[in-house]
Amino acid sequence: MSPEDVLPSSFRDPAGYVFRRGGVFYRGIRKSGRPHYDMLMSSGLYKELVAANLLVPHEEFPLEGERVGDVTKVIRPEEIPFISYPYEWSFSQMQDAALATLEIEKRALRYGMTLVDASAYNIQFLGGRPVLIDTLSLRQAVEGEPWTAYGQYCRHFLAPLALMGLKDIRLGQLLRVHLDGIPLDLASSLLPLRTRRRLPLLLHLHIHAKSQKRFEGRQVRVARGKVGRQALLGLVDSLESGIKKLHWRASGTEWADYYEDTNYSTEGLDDKRKTVEEFIREVRPRTVWDLGGNIGTFSRIAAAAGAYTVSFDIDPACVEMNYLRIRREKEENLLPLLLDLTNPSPGAGWENKERMTLLERGPADAVLALALLHHLAIGNNLPLDKAARFFARTGRHLLLEFVPKSDSQVKRLLVTREDVFDAYTQEGFERAFGEVFTIKRRVPLSGSERALYIMEKK
Amino acid sequence: MIQTRHWRLFAAGLILGCGFLAKAAAGYIDPGTGSYILQIAIAFFIGLAFSVKVFWKKISAFLRKTFSSKKGNGVDVS
Repeated sequence: MSPEDVLPSSFRDPAGYVFRRGGVFYRGIRKSGRPHYDMLMSSGLYKELVAANLLVPHEEFPLEGERVGDVTKVIRPEEIPFISYPYEWSFSQMQDAALATLEIEKRALRYGMTLVDASAYNIQFLGGRPVLIDTLSLRQAVEGEPWTAYGQYCRHFLAPLALMGLKDIRLGQLLRVHLDGIPLDLASSLLPLRTRRRLPLLLHLHIHAKSQKRFEGRQVRVARGKVGRQALLGLVDSLESGIKKLHWRASGTEWADYYEDTNYSTEGLDDKRKTVEEFIREVRPRTVWDLGGNIGTFSRIAAAAGAYTVSFDIDPACVEMNYLRIRREKEENLLPLLLDLTNPSPGAGWENKERMTLLERGPADAVLALALLHHLAIGNNLPLDKAARFFARTGRHLLLEFVPKSDSQVKRLLVTREDVFDAYTQEGFERAFGEVFTIKRRVPLSGSERALYIMEKK
Repeated sequence: MIQTRHWRLFAAGLILGCGFLAKAAAGYIDPGTGSYILQIAIAFFIGLAFSVKVFWKKISAFLRKTFSSKKGNGVDVS
């Protein structure tokens, strides 16, 4: 295996690393991680966590005599269809990921093991549910030691959830800047005073922040072996009760009531639905990105046809509503994520490579961009040729809805801005997109001047 | 609901406790010191609270089971 195969994000853990070969991800377990891995497998904890859909299942893979340093075992985890990041999750996705992490720690403690990492990046969505992907973060617990990952857990989960639920949902975006979680002193200073009345928040956020500040950079002598298993279970229980009491109600945002406030006729909506179905049937994609997917109405057509569908939207309320439905109806191949297309998730971390950009996680086999382009072109002054080039990078097949200036939704966008969009016409659109796509079909939507375009990248 | 004033006293006690523990021990630790010390400071209280909670759950489950089975028997007899 060459060093180039190792993922750029996999350099912190001395117990092992992730590498990719032939498009498949593997995890190499070094000598130092081997006793912990063996304990995980032989204790019954692995079986229990996989059965509870809390840990990604894997199979052991033969080393086949290759020179792999001090790696003593290679495992091949089940593939995660789309890697997502905490700053792309809705409130409930984050909350479920937080509770899954605590459930894993609780069960691990019963087997004499513990999570040495409580990073939100170790959780991914598989089959609609949050699972731990870092198998090697489960290690043998040292009797009497506090939970090493406690501070990280509070920064990665408790602080963002408290800020999102009790202050402002947009504060989840602080995770984009603070990759190792929101500093507790920052969270504590942003949270309303009333949050000090909740015992879990008082303890794990406010006092925790003060304690960190007090001992920052100081070499102190502390007693070891003072935290028993009951205390650790109490700590997990206290965090769990704090997390469970946080709520955010998805409503009142610009897009959450979109389908109740549009100018589609019933026939127009039917045309749209039928065309999406036809497009998916023709292309038969394995992966679909629905850009501007709102609450996932059209994403579900692709998902129902068997495509793993990522439904992106800029509105946290839409992503939340979409996820709650997935959870309620146990939908497995749909993942809603928060995304501002005018400022998509960047490459971040060491060398800008630890966290991938949106485009690095693609391309998808097919892309839906329904009632989206006018927001980019008119709402964000994006020239049509630039939009066309961007869409060509997202996937090979594209179904795009063109909304002309005469449409009331575009008129609404133009109320507060000067109309400097001379090129925004049907001809201008077809010219710009015709440069990079072959326009295969144009489908007018009944009862409106809108049209759907089925295109394939040249 | 416990008054905010009581929480402040509790918080002050904990922070003082953290300081006390830091002076009374042995072995150097990493930069996550504040998180580490806090856990040691609250270990006893949080462990005790958890034990009481588990005990109370067991008692209430036992009482529920006892009364519901009596109620069930009553229905059967009539």
